[in-house]
Amino acid sequence: MAKITGELYNQFTIEEYYVEDKPFYLPVNDEVELFEAAYAARVPILLKGPTGTGKTRFVEYMAWKLGRPIAAAKRSPAKAASNGRLIPLITIACHEDLTASDLVGRYLLDAEGTRWIDGPLTRAVKSGAICYLDEIVEARKDTTVLIHPLADHRRVLPVEKQGLVLEAKKGFQLVISYNPGYQSALKDLKESTRQRFIAIEFTPPPPEVEAKIVEAESGCAPQQSLALAKLGEKIRNLQEHGLREGASTRVLIYAGKLMANGIAPRRACHVAVVWGITDDHEVQRSIEEVVSSIFE
Amino acid sequence: MASTGTGGPDLERNIAPELREQLEGLPASFQKEFDAAATTLSFIFNEEELDAWAKEALSISTHTARSWEAGVEYLKVSGAVAKRLSFASFTQWARCGAYLSNDSPTLAVAYFRASPDIVANLRPQHIARWASLGRSMYKGTWKSSGLASKFFEVSPSLARNLSFWDVEVFAGLIEGLSAKSYDLATECLVLGSDALSGMSREREPFLSLCRALTDTGWREVKACFQVVGKALPLVEESQKSRFLRLAERLAREGSRETSAFLVSGSTALGKIKPQDQQRILDLCDSLLTVSPPAVHAFLHSLDSVLSRITMAQLDTWFERGARLIRENPEGGLAYFRVESATSEEVIEGLSSSLELERVKGVLMLYCRALSGADVEVTESDKLVHKGIGWVSEGHATTEGTKVYLPLIIDRYPTKGDNFGWYKVVSTHQVAHIEFGSFLFAFEKPSNLFQDARLDREKALLSTVTEDLEMKALQRGAEKNWVTDMSRYFSLFTDRKLALDVFTLMEDGRLDFRVKGEYPGIKGFYGRVQEGALEGRPSIRELPLRQALVELLTRFSMDQRRGLPTPKRYAKAARALAKIQNRLRSPEATVEDTAEATLRAYDVLSRVPNEREPEEEWENQDFDAEEEFSEEELAELIKEMGPVPQEGSMEQEPYESPEEIDYRGDFKPELVQTLNRMRSGQTGESEEGTGGLTQEMLEEMLRQSAELGTEQEGEGMETFAQNLMKEAGVTSPMASPGQGYGPMVHVDEQGGSLEAREPKTYVYDEWDFRAVDYKPKWCIVREKTVDEGDLRFFGDTMRNYAPLINDVRRQFELVIPESFRKVRRQPDGDEFDLDASVEAMIDRRSGITPSEKVYWFRNKQERDVAVVFLLDMSASTAEAIDEGRPTPGDQDAPDDPVEYMMWLRARREGLVQRRYKRIIDLEKEGVALLLQALESIGDVYGVYGFSGYGRENVEFYVIKDVDERFSDAVKKRIDKISPLHATRMGPAIRHATAKLERQEAKTKILFLISDGRPQDRGYSREGVEKEYAVHDTHMALVEARRLNISPFCLTVDKSGHDYLKAMCGDVGYEVLEDIWTLPQRLPQLYRKLTI
Repeated sequence: MAKITGELYNQFTIEEYYVEDKPFYLPVNDEVELFEAAYAARVPILLKGPTGTGKTRFVEYMAWKLGRPIAAAKRSPAKAASNGRLIPLITIACHEDLTASDLVGRYLLDAEGTRWIDGPLTRAVKSGAICYLDEIVEARKDTTVLIHPLADHRRVLPVEKQGLVLEAKKGFQLVISYNPGYQSALKDLKESTRQRFIAIEFTPPPPEVEAKIVEAESGCAPQQSLALAKLGEKIRNLQEHGLREGASTRVLIYAGKLMANGIAPRRACHVAVVWGITDDHEVQRSIEEVVSSIFE
Repeated sequence: MASTGTGGPDLERNIAPELREQLEGLPASFQKEFDAAATTLSFIFNEEELDAWAKEALSISTHTARSWEAGVEYLKVSGAVAKRLSFASFTQWARCGAYLSNDSPTLAVAYFRASPDIVANLRPQHIARWASLGRSMYKGTWKSSGLASKFFEVSPSLARNLSFWDVEVFAGLIEGLSAKSYDLATECLVLGSDALSGMSREREPFLSLCRALTDTGWREVKACFQVVGKALPLVEESQKSRFLRLAERLAREGSRETSAFLVSGSTALGKIKPQDQQRILDLCDSLLTVSPPAVHAFLHSLDSVLSRITMAQLDTWFERGARLIRENPEGGLAYFRVESATSEEVIEGLSSSLELERVKGVLMLYCRALSGADVEVTESDKLVHKGIGWVSEGHATTEGTKVYLPLIIDRYPTKGDNFGWYKVVSTHQVAHIEFGSFLFAFEKPSNLFQDARLDREKALLSTVTEDLEMKALQRGAEKNWVTDMSRYFSLFTDRKLALDVFTLMEDGRLDFRVKGEYPGIKGFYGRVQEGALEGRPSIRELPLRQALVELLTRFSMDQRRGLPTPKRYAKAARALAKIQNRLRSPEATVEDTAEATLRAYDVLSRVPNEREPEEEWENQDFDAEEEFSEEELAELIKEMGPVPQEGSMEQEPYESPEEIDYRGDFKPELVQTLNRMRSGQTGESEEGTGGLTQEMLEEMLRQSAELGTEQEGEGMETFAQNLMKEAGVTSPMASPGQGYGPMVHVDEQGGSLEAREPKTYVYDEWDFRAVDYKPKWCIVREKTVDEGDLRFFGDTMRNYAPLINDVRRQFELVIPESFRKVRRQPDGDEFDLDASVEAMIDRRSGITPSEKVYWFRNKQERDVAVVFLLDMSASTAEAIDEGRPTPGDQDAPDDPVEYMMWLRARREGLVQRRYKRIIDLEKEGVALLLQALESIGDVYGVYGFSGYGRENVEFYVIKDVDERFSDAVKKRIDKISPLHATRMGPAIRHATAKLERQEAKTKILFLISDGRPQDRGYSREGVEKEYAVHDTHMALVEARRLNISPFCLTVDKSGHDYLKAMCGDVGYEVLEDIWTLPQRLPQLYRKLTI
């Protein structure tokens, strides 16, 4: 819940963070139905796809959609939570130093001794939240094993240090995301992890859809959003020819935002798209040429 | 002239009796000659003079036994000479002859023989000096008399063409030369008299040059005489003397190749405009004061440099080089040879022309981005050479998978604009792929027209006709068409016209699409179009049908205003415009183009191709918005009547419109054929050709209008075969072995190399003298080592079993080491008990406790990629003798050929004694290492290198970085064997390139060698030894810059001296005991990576 501490910032307890406003999400395929079904069946989900294809946004959207109050009237979050309708979303960005205790919890020193503090995963399990582990491959391998008991029929989280086993609350949903683009042997998901999830693949949306997304997100002119979508498509053609990943919808949106704020289109594309996606000079130049062909 | 008053030829009276007596003692032939001469002279000389003459004759003839021969010559020429000279001069002349005869009768003979001609061209007062010139060449020997005689022999022609002063100089020159060699002097005399005769004002500087050469390099003189006749005419008249003076100064500065300079210099000057030659010579002069050899280099590269930059820009390039050469002579020299990267850069910066080579990469990615296909970009001449139907070298085109562009563009004043042209052209070519020009399907409906294709075909087939061609067509319809395009074109009687119209329509459609899809390029696209319009032929001068096609061309390029239109066919022109307008829509497809072509063809085929008088034209504007309507067109066609009969008398044969350069060659039918053949390759079709036979192909080609008339003679068979080859279909008739031909030997002196074959890579080389890279200097050829026997690996494993266990244990220890527990951390898995207790105590005693109360496992993920580079040079065949020191290199011959012989000899001796060679130990080391590396899980590659010469650096793959460890790898180890030389630099660069692609955090390049780097032109001469070491050092530094840690391990005990220079601050180790190599290798590696 939002605790108003002065007027400087909003602060939420981790399991009380809800997606309240409808996030913009344009379904490309049947991913919404799949997610709903998996949620109902308590099957963990793996979101696969290159960066900037809307994985995170999708999770936010689903958290909002699944927890949407049936009544149209806006309720206070606290009330909604008590109704058990809003579903908290706990996002954990995985990094290479993420340890098991970072997820599960640890003892802290206290005036009197030690005090246990739950980690975000534990809190998600306890509160029945959607727990989204972003970029799971980045985490240390020993950490990923930790989610195994949660990701199969057991749905439990052993907390060794406390000698507990936590049963996941109804509504707990494990979602992980994974970018296969890295393709490095070191950054691959273990088979045993992979096969505990259903996988929803995210690909860059088709140009018409992407143009709509760019337009809605950035607020640039429809014509510009079309051109940006075209640019995205062309750049993706270069994948495997010098680019590891094409331009994501996200960078196109950034470019669109800059344009909407009065930056000249070519310039906007240079700073948001060209320079961001590669350091290879020749590739940069080629993309710049594409940009200068598409934009006046 | 003496008086000749005493007329009568009374010899008896004129000759004194005592003389007569003396004459009696001489041979009869002499007397006869004497009488004849006396008779002639008696008309010229008076008695007294005649007397003196006769006396002289006697004195000449009586010096020695053979003097009379000279006398005879004297008598023979006296008459002719006497006519020219006063008696006083005559006497002097005769006196000189007498002196010569005194010295050597042969000389005198030559002297007298040359005289008649000489006296005609020489002033009398010079005669004595002339004689003394010849005289001074005579040194009393047989050879010198030959030379002197030769001098007299050539004198007449010299005297005719040269001033006496020049003759004297020349004679002096020859005399000087004779001091070195008589033969040479004689040859030069002959050559010189020819060469000098042809000269005018430049003679003096040339002689001066020769004089200089007799001092510095007399052997060159002859060569100079030989070449000067061919060389000088290339130089502009006024600059010849300058040029020669330049050569002289060079010679004086010590240049030994004056004749070569004359040739190359004049050739270079000959290639530039006469008015520029002076400027070039100015530059040469200024360069001469700094570095004479650079003048050579400068003139040599002049032509290629000027092909890229203008004269004005040359100054800038030159200035830079002149500055450089003052600081660094070697570097400057390389600069003027255009063998340095700096030089290249400067030229590149200056020149406005753009070579495809430089932007190929960018353009290729650009094309791929636009088309989404694996498009490649190459030079258009390559397609022409394939002989599959494309003929125009300078034009852009595409055959469906590659975009062909002209080699070099210099149309606009700036590089940027020239690049823009390339871009426009590529965009247009790619548009063919992007907007589906080649995807034409006969039965696919169009978007904007009422489809007429199928009806036409039906109509055509139902016409009962005796026409053989039609019958063939009917048969054709039953069979499979080669392509949809062929089926479509078979609808037309005049295929050429149909193809032209189709091309124009399609190109127009694409231009419109491109401008719509890519507004950014619109501006320059327009400029290019305007440029193309400028060169179009005048419409009024064309026969009618061609004029209308030309109008269509203009429409397709967006020219619609003020176009001359024949009054008679104004309606037809307007109809064409309307048809074209319809294609100006983003919805238009290639099928629409086809429909539009059908309609335009209907109109055009009804227009006779005849001339129209001037007054029958008027300028018209056409509107891009005017709508096309089928009804209107039908009416027009009706109005125009039937198609005029072929061959009506007034008609001129139809000619295709001039090509539009930016659109290039469009051959949809051929491309479709190729594509079909290509897809047949990958598809499941039984035959590789997608169901096409060579016969079908040939027939299609015969029908097609896409092949120019000039190709028809070539035989469709070759053609079809070429096409099949292009599509990757090998015809059974193709002769084998048409691979890459024998390796071309490129001399060390040559320029940059190019990697033309697969698996070859080009690298720069560092020239420490020039402090610059030699661009594209070495070719690395990557090969995979043959697979040998598995036994070697197995044996090694067995022999070193204890060691292997040891190594493996050591390596396995590496892993836990990286999982150390780190105590007293601010954050971690669990409390560090000690720290927590302390913290509690602190807190209770009122001290701020430390926050560092946790411990955690510091997992530093091992992320290592390593490349091992194995020296496979011939020297690794050296045997190692246990107990005795490794034989040093002292007695090794320096010449590589001898060196290898020496090695082979040694090797053979050693094989008999079954000793191990260095390479064996290297192999064992590698085998052990492989085992160890597998246990630790590092990414690794093992390569060997050797080679001979810069164009052939061999790089052997034993295990590629991305390859898995397999039996194949084990087998390859067996085949590692000593080969040729050691050019380390390029091998290191190639290995670096491989490592660079790896993502590991730690990258190691491990070099194992047995001695100095050496190769032809890399290490032999004094300086070059340094050269190799420096280049290797640079290669290591480059690796380091890319975050790769190089390490060198050598077994050459004397290695410390050069290794210090070679490795700099790069780590290295000299193995004292070579037997420890297998053990040491894994140890070292472990040490390096922890």
